Amino acid sequence: MGLTNTDIQSAQGAEQTDGNIITTTIDKVINWGRKNSLWPMPFGTACCAIEMMATLASKFDLSRFGSEAIRFSPRQSDLLIVSGRISIKMMPVLKRIYDQMPDPKWVISMGACASCGGVFDTYTLIQGVDQFIPVDVYIPGCPPRPEDLIDAVLQVQQKIASGASPKGVEHLLET
Amino acid sequence: MQGGQERATGEKMVLNFGPQHPATHGTLRIVLELDGESILKATPHAGYLHTGFEKLGEHLDYNQYIVVTDRMNYLSPLSNNFGYVLAVEQLLGIEVPKRCQYIRLLMAELSRVADHLLWLGTAALDLGAFSVFLYSFREREKLYSIFEKTTGARLTTSYTRVGGVLRDLYDGCEEDVRQFVSNFPKALKETHTLLTRNRIWMDRTKGVGAISPDDAIDYGLTGPCLRATGVAHDIRKVEPYSSYDEVTFDVPVGTNGDVYDRYLVRMEEMIQSCGIITQVLDNMPDGPVNVEDNKITMPNKSDAYGHIEGLIHHFKIVMDGHGVQLPKGEHYCATESPNGELGFYIVSDGSGTAYRIRIRPPSFFHFQALPHMLEGGMVSDTVAVLGSLNVIAGELDR
Amino acid sequence: MNEEKEVEEQSIPLVLEKLEEHHADALLSQDEMRGTIVAVVRKEQVYAVLEYLKTDPELAYTFLVDVTAVDNSQMESELMQFDYARFMVVYQLYSYQGQCRVRVKVPVHENDLSVPSVTGLWRGANWLERETYDMFGINFEGHPDLRRILTPDDFQGHPLQKDYPLRGRGERESFNFDKQNA
Repeated sequence: MGLTNTDIQSAQGAEQTDGNIITTTIDKVINWGRKNSLWPMPFGTACCAIEMMATLASKFDLSRFGSEAIRFSPRQSDLLIVSGRISIKMMPVLKRIYDQMPDPKWVISMGACASCGGVFDTYTLIQGVDQFIPVDVYIPGCPPRPEDLIDAVLQVQQKIASGASPKGVEHLLET
Repeated sequence: MQGGQERATGEKMVLNFGPQHPATHGTLRIVLELDGESILKATPHAGYLHTGFEKLGEHLDYNQYIVVTDRMNYLSPLSNNFGYVLAVEQLLGIEVPKRCQYIRLLMAELSRVADHLLWLGTAALDLGAFSVFLYSFREREKLYSIFEKTTGARLTTSYTRVGGVLRDLYDGCEEDVRQFVSNFPKALKETHTLLTRNRIWMDRTKGVGAISPDDAIDYGLTGPCLRATGVAHDIRKVEPYSSYDEVTFDVPVGTNGDVYDRYLVRMEEMIQSCGIITQVLDNMPDGPVNVEDNKITMPNKSDAYGHIEGLIHHFKIVMDGHGVQLPKGEHYCATESPNGELGFYIVSDGSGTAYRIRIRPPSFFHFQALPHMLEGGMVSDTVAVLGSLNVIAGELDR
Repeated sequence: MNEEKEVEEQSIPLVLEKLEEHHADALLSQDEMRGTIVAVVRKEQVYAVLEYLKTDPELAYTFLVDVTAVDNSQMESELMQFDYARFMVVYQLYSYQGQCRVRVKVPVHENDLSVPSVTGLWRGANWLERETYDMFGINFEGHPDLRRILTPDDFQGHPLQKDYPLRGRGERESFNFDKQNA
């Protein structure tokens, strides 16, 4: 598979005893794998979607962070990137797509409009998608730069590596 | 991607396409009725990105509204800024200085290239040509850096102001733009070699989604989609605004009005825009970029800090209800945005806020005409035709 | 370019001249604002006037640029001028032949919110009229498919009416996930 010992050691908590034996926990190995192969489902509606495209394209190249496998089917993805304005007509669609994604799933709310309605405080626009779906990472900006989106993906990776649960299942763990 | 397929009566099948689908570039939705693979009926649905732009226009003052126009056609925000302030200025009855007109023209043409580049990348991506997407984004990133240096933002530029622009061009802008313009035709040629004589590309686009000139006018098509049918109509030529009569350029037209012709027209428009940009740079006049009327444009910062008049003018412009005030009346102003005729109809009651702002978006008409181009065709053509129209959801739904 | 200008200058009075000649009883007022002819016509004759403007070979306003409306309920001067008609439906036309524009306006009273549909003249009018219905509540008689277009199907009210608040009437917080038209 081309994995070296140092690669495996970078999975948190892995200890190398000697030679070819390492000890770790199953959870940590799984999290290490999940972290480095996020498959995003881009829910791009407006201006932010153009910056998301730029992030995926030549100059910024999200594949450097293992997240270039864009899947337009929610059933194949574990990271939802909500980028753009969400109207009251669109919100049921977004909710349905979120529900269709398999657990564990992470949500990035990209840009001011998705996070809080942005400059559009009008009758038709959802003032923050977190009223209806749990959001793990918010990105400020109108629209955020591609670097900001990359940073958000890295933050999701950190959360996964630390073993944190996505916002979407936290309420299940409490009971 | 909702992918909801259900069996209708008989052999008909209903296929729901969108509102979340990779080829809809946002939030478009089409419901297709199919008989096997041919399309019996197509019903486009709009409104999934309705944001209330027109209502917002009745609550923001004239300079604040520029920010909103950015977010309408987010492929070419500078053209929207331009079209909007032109409508306000025409109703106000002022003309901006020559240098400002040229700067706006330069930015509008650069954003036309940027718009067509993104269209090219995504339309080709939909038909499976991934490398074109990477090629066109490479060029678009160069434009982003020019926009960012000029306006401070990559995408949401808000560059124009009523009576002028945010600031003059930065030092070295001319060199940057000239370098882009001199390299661009070569870069575009790479795309030509990838697509123009490509057997697959031609099979998927030639004769697909054709519309006749009369039908195109009947449906209200404008811009490249109209010109692809052979109607040589360009608002920059017939109603020249902002010094467009001082530059020479050709209006490329197609013959069949199909997807392939729309592609060729847009490709040639980018080259023509480069010609305009070179002429603008060659003839760029010196002078102020704002009208010298402190009731309309902001005074210099040194005046605002150092003189009582400057401070009062600054205060009045930024205060709610004291900013730019338009005379009572109404005006419709059309500009040639990259997608077609972008019109702003402003009704003023004499106050600092518009009484009504109506935006005439080109995409609205293109999306409406989609069934005409699809019905009778094959289901796989849907993506090609939709891609060729460059329907921008932000502009469609406002 | 000069030739084009001449044509334009000639055709500006031509529109009004011909309207005066053929549809004098339909004209309520006429005006010119910033270079565009504005003709206000009676609701009953608006279809005939638009059809005339489109089909007359000398005028040939074949391109319907826009259909929209204005709610004049907070503009006293406009209300007074047209017998307290609350709405003004606005048609923008363009002639490829004469390369000029004309704006036709129709006052509509609140107690009779209807205008004849022009979908028979231009297919492009279909969605424009649907949008005007959605935003203002004006009914277009004879429209083949007058549904809401921008707002959801179960939306209440018409957002661009002046008495509709910018932030809505609570639609943002309380809407039905189950209606699910996707």
